[in-house]
Amino acid sequence: MNVNLNLTPTATVSRRLRIKHTTRVSYAQPAASSHNEVRMTPLTLPAQTTLDARVTVNPTTPTWSYWDYWGTQVTSFDLMDPHADLTITASSLVETHPPGPLQGAPTWLELAEQSANSRLLEYANPTPRTTIPAELIEKAREVAAGLDVHETAVAVSSLVADRVSYLPGVTGVNTSAAEAWDQGAGVCQDIAHVTIALLRGLGLPTRYVSGYLHPEQEAELHRPVAGQSHAWVDYWAGDWCGYDPTNRKRADESHVVVGRGRDYDDVTPHKGIYRGVAGGPPDVTVEFTRVG
Amino acid sequence: MADIFDAYALADAWDEMFERPGEVRTAYEPVLAALQPIEPSELRFRADQMARAFTDRGVTYAFAGEERPWPLDLVPRILDALEWDLIQRGVRQRVRALEAYLADAYGHARAFEDGVVPWRLLLNSAHFHRAAHGIEPPGGVRIHVAGIDLVRDEAGDFRVLEDNVRVPSGVSYVIENRRAMTRIFPSLFAEQHVVPVDGYAQRLLAALRAAAPDGTADPRVVVLTPGPNNAAYFEHALLARLMGVQLVEGHDLVCRNNRVWMRTTRGEVPVHVVYRRLDDDFLDPLHFRPDSVIGCPGILSAAMAGNVTLANAVGNGIADDKLLYTYVPDLIRYYLSEEPILPNVESFRPDEPGQLEAVLDQIDQLVIKPVDGAGGQGIVIGPKSDRETLEETRKAVIADPRGFIAQRPVALSTSPTLAGERMAPRHIDLRPFAVNDGNDVWVLPGGLTRVALQEGNLIVNSSQGGGSKDTWVLAEGPTENPVPVSPGALPDVAPRQLGPDGNPTVVQEGAQQQ
Repeated sequence: MNVNLNLTPTATVSRRLRIKHTTRVSYAQPAASSHNEVRMTPLTLPAQTTLDARVTVNPTTPTWSYWDYWGTQVTSFDLMDPHADLTITASSLVETHPPGPLQGAPTWLELAEQSANSRLLEYANPTPRTTIPAELIEKAREVAAGLDVHETAVAVSSLVADRVSYLPGVTGVNTSAAEAWDQGAGVCQDIAHVTIALLRGLGLPTRYVSGYLHPEQEAELHRPVAGQSHAWVDYWAGDWCGYDPTNRKRADESHVVVGRGRDYDDVTPHKGIYRGVAGGPPDVTVEFTRVG
Repeated sequence: MADIFDAYALADAWDEMFERPGEVRTAYEPVLAALQPIEPSELRFRADQMARAFTDRGVTYAFAGEERPWPLDLVPRILDALEWDLIQRGVRQRVRALEAYLADAYGHARAFEDGVVPWRLLLNSAHFHRAAHGIEPPGGVRIHVAGIDLVRDEAGDFRVLEDNVRVPSGVSYVIENRRAMTRIFPSLFAEQHVVPVDGYAQRLLAALRAAAPDGTADPRVVVLTPGPNNAAYFEHALLARLMGVQLVEGHDLVCRNNRVWMRTTRGEVPVHVVYRRLDDDFLDPLHFRPDSVIGCPGILSAAMAGNVTLANAVGNGIADDKLLYTYVPDLIRYYLSEEPILPNVESFRPDEPGQLEAVLDQIDQLVIKPVDGAGGQGIVIGPKSDRETLEETRKAVIADPRGFIAQRPVALSTSPTLAGERMAPRHIDLRPFAVNDGNDVWVLPGGLTRVALQEGNLIVNSSQGGGSKDTWVLAEGPTENPVPVSPGALPDVAPRQLGPDGNPTVVQEGAQQQ
């Protein structure tokens, strides 16, 4: 197997991205009422500054915002009159910076001590979605034999990306890591879940990152391109380090972080409950424009 | 003269009524004098009368799938002023420590950073509701109502067996037991000053109103019930009636613009405090179980925004699981700088180094409890179990040491209980109820005494076939009955609103990340 130790940052300059994330829900019959939470506002972090962000809803309704347990900004709203459709538009302007060099990794023993009795434990235990058979963890252990923490993250991510090929439409929003592995196909959400399950199985605290990825590494200025809502992982090596197993590279200035949690359920971009008839999945588009 | 107490033989435990055979404790003298002359057939008649009265009033409970009248034994359980003072102080201390723990766990997490409680107790708990993070309860109160289960050991010392700070139930039986006893046995109350219990509802209402969001001039309180099929529905209805507030189900409430409203025939009216008697998981389908149709979507966000108070608070389950229980004495010392007034039952944590072996070695002498069990389910009493049960339990504990705690068995104290036409010693416990209004933790005088009706049985839960006793706290002087506040007229709740297809369908939605 080809272990690609892609540990050096590829780009060197900051960039500005305009992101427009549109979610359209068309109900089979008008919904009588709905309650919603949206997690689509990019964070401000050392490697990322959110210059402007707003979430608008159609039909128009007051929104309210708070920061949740995971540190994600949540926009919450309700619609109490019958409505045939719902459109949520999250627009933002974000400046991203290339990631700094990786720091020396703690030893596995140090890592075990750090995560045994601290909040890191939260990211060390499997969730229902990231519970995976022991033999798969054994497989990961073989791949990671003799490697340090950074190398392990890369090697295990490759193991997952080799096994679970990127193929939209095979899995759904509720697919678990074990199911995605069995099917051998999925989307970034699934690949992230499997990677998380395996890294946690090896004792490496790992979290799910929800956000955006500009689809073109060297994007042309001011030209809108279609992209998607994206997911990758952060593993703990004395500090959180982002890695994108779907694209087999470190998270960099093409990645925009919105939220971090144990798995998808902690950072769901749009969560809604409505009174009405069950319908199909929403229509989601994400448009990126590099403006600087 | 032969009487119902003649054949009363003391069990191998502290007896509440008799110090030695034939030697009655002072507090019980008037009761003994009143009961002794009564013919057994007459006692049986009064017991049947009481059962009929309970059935008529709907005071029943479910046992083995059938509705039975609430089983109240005729012999009261008596606590003298000194005993009550200890219990009251101990319960109050316990509630204050658990409040401090909850504020800490949902806040700065000092106890974990300081190593008093391991992080995993919080982070691995199924009851640690991260969705409740950021809710600032008015007055700092999360435990508006607590039920602290006590037992009395062989030496007569009260010990805490379990804390209940989520949705503790049973207080209606305290009220109903007293009501029944004063009707069936008025003479019993003639000789002694028994502290009344009917002030509970007003205390509760005052605490709930005090818990209203800041700046609410005239807070509206409602009782939220899962509905008539719930085992404790009678209690929900009784408390609402005694407090003079509306009893509602989830579909009677609506969350609009982060505020909670009650649908009435006169339109929507604002609600400020929800005394909810349904579990966290069912409270808000947006945050918890999306298939819950008995909750109210959006109610948690309204609480987060500080527009409504949920009583008890969401996420209290981290403070009353059986594993955390073993740390409560430490929490009392840590947060309050006090020594525990009421000790725990001696407990072991099989997940700690060396403890698993210690537990397995003496498993036939210990009580093994699943950490997440409720209502006495899954408890294995070592000395009373056969080899097979012990072997199964041993395997279960080895497979999941964190899933269990082990305790020294306590021979719960006994109280004379009518068995057929004579008195026999039966094991009892005590659940005092505490109400926290933010200034003071008030403990309802007495509480619910539950009794294991089968000889030798140590599990007293009504779901396991237990009964109850009226619980008396003796006052040092005469007591006055509180003046009941007459409830004003309540608006009628509007008929239930259905979805477009006639069903109150609730659908969850979400987009996959690509």
